[in-house]
Amino acid sequence: MAGLFTYDVLEVTLLSLYVSGCATILGSSIGIPLGALVGLKEFGGKGAVKTITYTMYGFPPVISGLVVYFLLSRSGLFGFLGLLFTPTAMIIAETLLVIPLTAGITITAVTEVDKSIKDTITAIGATPRQRVLTVMREAWVSLIMAAMIGFGRAIAEVGAAFMVGGNIAGETRVLTTAIMMETRAGHLGFALGLGVVLITVAGTVFVFLRYLQEKELL
Amino acid sequence: MTVAVELLSVSKTYDKVAAVRNVNLVAETGQVLGILGPSGAGKSTLLRLIDLLESPDKGNVILRGRKVSAGARDAHTIRKRIGMVLQKPVALNRSVSNNIAFSMNIRGWDEKDVARVVSQELKKLGLESLAKKNARTLSGGEMQRLSFSRATVYSPELLLLDEFAANLDPRNVALLEDMVRAYLAGGQERAVVLVTHNIFQAKRLCHRIALMWDGEIIEVADNKKFFESPDDERTAAFVNGDVVY
Amino acid sequence: MLILVVSAVGVYMFVVLDEEDEELPPQTLMLATTTSTQDSGLLDYILPDFEEMHNADVQVIAVGSGQAMELGKNGDVDVLLVHSPASEKQFVADGYGESRTLVMYNQFVIVGPEADPAGTRQAHNATDAFARMKYNGTAGNAIFVSRSDNSGTHSKELTFWSYLGFNKTQVQEFSDSWYKQAGQGMGAVLDMCEEMDAYTLSDDATFYSRVADNLVPHLNITSGGGSDLSNQYSVIPVNATLWSHINHTFALDFVSWITSNETQDLIASYVKYGQQLFFPNTPGYVAHGASLASTGTLGRLAMVNKEELSN
Repeated sequence: MAGLFTYDVLEVTLLSLYVSGCATILGSSIGIPLGALVGLKEFGGKGAVKTITYTMYGFPPVISGLVVYFLLSRSGLFGFLGLLFTPTAMIIAETLLVIPLTAGITITAVTEVDKSIKDTITAIGATPRQRVLTVMREAWVSLIMAAMIGFGRAIAEVGAAFMVGGNIAGETRVLTTAIMMETRAGHLGFALGLGVVLITVAGTVFVFLRYLQEKELL
Repeated sequence: MTVAVELLSVSKTYDKVAAVRNVNLVAETGQVLGILGPSGAGKSTLLRLIDLLESPDKGNVILRGRKVSAGARDAHTIRKRIGMVLQKPVALNRSVSNNIAFSMNIRGWDEKDVARVVSQELKKLGLESLAKKNARTLSGGEMQRLSFSRATVYSPELLLLDEFAANLDPRNVALLEDMVRAYLAGGQERAVVLVTHNIFQAKRLCHRIALMWDGEIIEVADNKKFFESPDDERTAAFVNGDVVY
Repeated sequence: MLILVVSAVGVYMFVVLDEEDEELPPQTLMLATTTSTQDSGLLDYILPDFEEMHNADVQVIAVGSGQAMELGKNGDVDVLLVHSPASEKQFVADGYGESRTLVMYNQFVIVGPEADPAGTRQAHNATDAFARMKYNGTAGNAIFVSRSDNSGTHSKELTFWSYLGFNKTQVQEFSDSWYKQAGQGMGAVLDMCEEMDAYTLSDDATFYSRVADNLVPHLNITSGGGSDLSNQYSVIPVNATLWSHINHTFALDFVSWITSNETQDLIASYVKYGQQLFFPNTPGYVAHGASLASTGTLGRLAMVNKEELSN
């Protein structure tokens, strides 16, 4: 059944991990500190920023794909970079989805750190920067969880990945786009099999990260 | 007698309730100033104003003759000279040693000095065996003594205590009160402001006591006068245990 | 965390990127085509020939016809292989495509429920079949599902409606009690027809594929085989004067390769579901087995190719 589309499932799986992994790291590196700042600092329009962040959770990923397509297309603003239909384009599109998610979870996590802990940190004389970093450390478990949820989002992404990646065999085909292609072609059994691979791979990553957490390596 | 900190005509309102109303108060070096009064009288708010955790709506906080403000860019440098212990025992999510080290690391102290002070403190607290354990596993009393240590280890010139021994067993209360005395004795020009509703603790620890009632300072007197012949009848009622709080 | 990422990247680079040990890295050609073309498996069959000959890496992006042409307009691909003649002609006329060369055709078929309530089996030709489907649809006896997605198949469907006097806007206003606008791919539309006992216009390859997987037991070809149902494929290199980065010479190599006698023979030799699916019909194509005495034709073909290349 798989003979119709000649591609290597292992290759596709590794590419999924690579693209989603990069998007998670990039997105979390931006989203988590951003969320910590929004959650801990007082500023005008803070409520609006929070609302926008939480609204972006439900942001249709295919629109992220469209936006990135328009930007990276040869006729677009950054067309000269020639990034369309490369794994990099997929990473960009997925990062845009990971950022609001990790930011939002971080906002909640740092807000929920006990007030007396925050007051103690301030009273000890921490600079505003030290305060943010210390509270982030207090909420560390939640922040790691934010990154993990971000990874889950990235590796499950199909619409945007298809749009800016093109599902090119050997180049930008990942598990999700392969599943979509197989489904469209009517190979539902094989598509389901790929889905099992996806869940297993994602699950393994989570289990491994949890293990690191248990051993306090994370 | 130098003035460590002074509150001048300070007022603060929360949600339309006046927590602090036109308070004038002076704390002198070498002394423990007690602020006594029923719960909800605004005592904690006063401490938060002194430690620049909040800004007063009216009036000024004056530290060693200089006006200080919570909104100022360098507010944290002022706070570095003040230590505060809250009612709720607070432990950062790290080891006992690292909790003590925290206040020194914040200030960029040299690693060796930090290590030396940490081991001294652990001995004083009797927590050497628990040094590497996560501080959150400590009992309430141990955690509060740890908080005290963390707040004083950098030799602040002013120490603020907010019901710091409430809900603790007598042994820990006694240990903490000794720590206050040791702190005061440990340096010149140090001052302590103690907020409490425990009359007996005030009697044991404080040189001067202020009675705070419904946001206002009713009376300030030295220890003996406060308990034996206060001016205000409300002070007398409070001290006699006639007031329910 | 960092170690994890570095090792992941390392694994990826070793396993995935280290496939080819060629001296020269292959040149990339970006080809936009339709999903039905990809699904038929033809490209997997013929492309390796081009890739070997020209040390190429053909990157195939399979989307709907409409989107494929958008990619061409935006300069995101080098060459198109699509089957939507009206739109293609417009595409070239508007200057987005450099030229349009016929490559091959496959067949459209009208599929519907076994009982054939609209009587399309008795139709004289495809247009007649469509007339019958509309008549019975409005009468409440039959349902038609449309691709409704600007694909080549959709364009073909609209052509038949236009022969009956309905332009696109009028077609969109057909009552949805019988005319269902799906906005989906061919496979999904066939599945819908199976569920709803409805008619549709399909390319033969996708239908055969569904039959082979036993997904459409209640559907049959009710009308097909006429030349009016042929689905013409053309190859269009994107206009290189608009986009300087386009691999233009390579795109032209692709055009001459796919229209060459050898490749055309190769296309004809592709068999699936027990039949030849694609019929090469590039101008000047001489089927395999014809004598070499027609050198004149071949010579002319060679000259034509040379001319194209020197442009």
